[in-house]
Amino acid sequence: MAGGAHRGTGIACPKDAMHPSGCGIGLRAPHVAEILDRRPPIGWLEVHAENYMGGGPAARALERLRADYPLSIHGVGLSLGSADGIDGRHLERLAALVERLQPALVSEHLSWSVAGGAYLNHLLPLPYTDEALDVLCANITRAQERLGRRLLVENPSGYLRFRDTSIPEPQFLNALARRTGCGLLCDVNNVYVTCSNLGGDAAAWIDALDAGSVAEIHLAGHAVNDADGRTILIDDHGSPVAEPVWGLFGHALRRFGATPTLIEWDTDVPALDVLLTEAATATRRLVKAGDVVAA
Amino acid sequence: MSSLRELQAGFRAAILGDDGAGVAAAVVDDDIGASARLAIYRHHVFASLTAALEATYPVVTRLVDRRFFGWAADRYVRARPPAGPCLAEYGGDFPAFLAQFPACAHLPWLADVARLEWAMNVALHAPDAATLEPIALQALEPRALARLTLRFEPSLTLIHSAWPIDAIWRANQPASDGVVDLGAGAARLEVRRLGDDVVFRTLPSGAFAFRAALAGGRSLEDAVERALDAEPGFDLAREIRALLEERVLAA
Repeated sequence: MAGGAHRGTGIACPKDAMHPSGCGIGLRAPHVAEILDRRPPIGWLEVHAENYMGGGPAARALERLRADYPLSIHGVGLSLGSADGIDGRHLERLAALVERLQPALVSEHLSWSVAGGAYLNHLLPLPYTDEALDVLCANITRAQERLGRRLLVENPSGYLRFRDTSIPEPQFLNALARRTGCGLLCDVNNVYVTCSNLGGDAAAWIDALDAGSVAEIHLAGHAVNDADGRTILIDDHGSPVAEPVWGLFGHALRRFGATPTLIEWDTDVPALDVLLTEAATATRRLVKAGDVVAA
Repeated sequence: MSSLRELQAGFRAAILGDDGAGVAAAVVDDDIGASARLAIYRHHVFASLTAALEATYPVVTRLVDRRFFGWAADRYVRARPPAGPCLAEYGGDFPAFLAQFPACAHLPWLADVARLEWAMNVALHAPDAATLEPIALQALEPRALARLTLRFEPSLTLIHSAWPIDAIWRANQPASDGVVDLGAGAARLEVRRLGDDVVFRTLPSGAFAFRAALAGGRSLEDAVERALDAEPGFDLAREIRALLEERVLAA
């Protein structure tokens, strides 16, 4: 199964035993009791920050799990791309959560969701312009200063392009990393979905990303839908990782080296074992990449 | 060229309102049109927020059926989009929205059932809080005791309804048949979290009036007066003991 197998292969070589390595899974409510009960070997766990900002049973369960598994906190609500700036109250709550849980990784998205005080529950697209770059850099810097640590910033899945866009997405991410010191979270499924929806070569997208900044990879399934009679891929995290995305993952590992990788599943969440099987597949590829890097 | 702020305001209008024209002009229009591409985002925003409301209001969803709920949620999201990203905190004024929603006017108890579900949601996510030790009240002089105001632990809500919303809630659990006697009368409920479980129970009218007065920030003396108005046989000593034993008071 996942975890275990990759230990001792030299992947990621964490100084801290609780640093993510190998393949983790996104922790979802239906699996919490079973993981607490079985404690299956899982490389690490990632949770959505916004689901743990209150108290109660969910927060208590996570306190117990973080003792046994390396933890990553993945924010979906900071709205790093908002021209209005980020919401100071939300940043404070995120900082309190990070302080309490001391995760190994904290990540957010290259997107926005807040305008005029309304939170639009989605990772909304940005025009990749110099103006947007300045906004992102200011917001990321503010967040990193408050959190006292490096953020990882994830590429979103795209369904449209703005006419004003003048910087290719991977170069835009590279510029964020260069200017703010943030790391990058490369969602390989999102790369595939975006390139399919907007036109573009997914392997070339990966090749353009600054490999030294990539600290985490995401994998998930997508749905194949229809818009205006054309195929459009929807990043719904509701199925196994698609075959071409596994292929692109292999390409990403050759380029980035063995990088902590997460399986995400949010819609029609399956039995835990289905996720663990996906994680085991990713782990085999990570081990192979680790051997190649080690050789 | 519009600034990013204008673009995001336009995008917001395209998502929440019906005005997609402004932002559509800024979107590349190719084999899939700009409006179809924007519709993907709009669909996700509404589908995910409707799902969040359904998760908080499962009994209301069952009472009005999912299609009607989806339509009411759509109206609500447009009028009151979330102010923040924690979806468990979204929908606190949905009961008030339902109370004013003309299409629900024939279901006068619906908004109160929604209040019960919101209170249960608040209880589930409330911070764990220290509760008052019995010893804390023993040290006080009687005069100080009378003027005392007490706070309840944060998972607790008191709800009064003219309708038997507890019976309606129970009759609409997944395994129940939905049959309920609407003539069963008023409900005076205390909702809170006990361990990992959210529970509610009926309080006698005196105890309810007493606790509701305390929760409203009134002094112990005032609360006793209200309890005796509601129920002449109200037993203060027993009620104080109950408050401490049940560990409902915040430290």
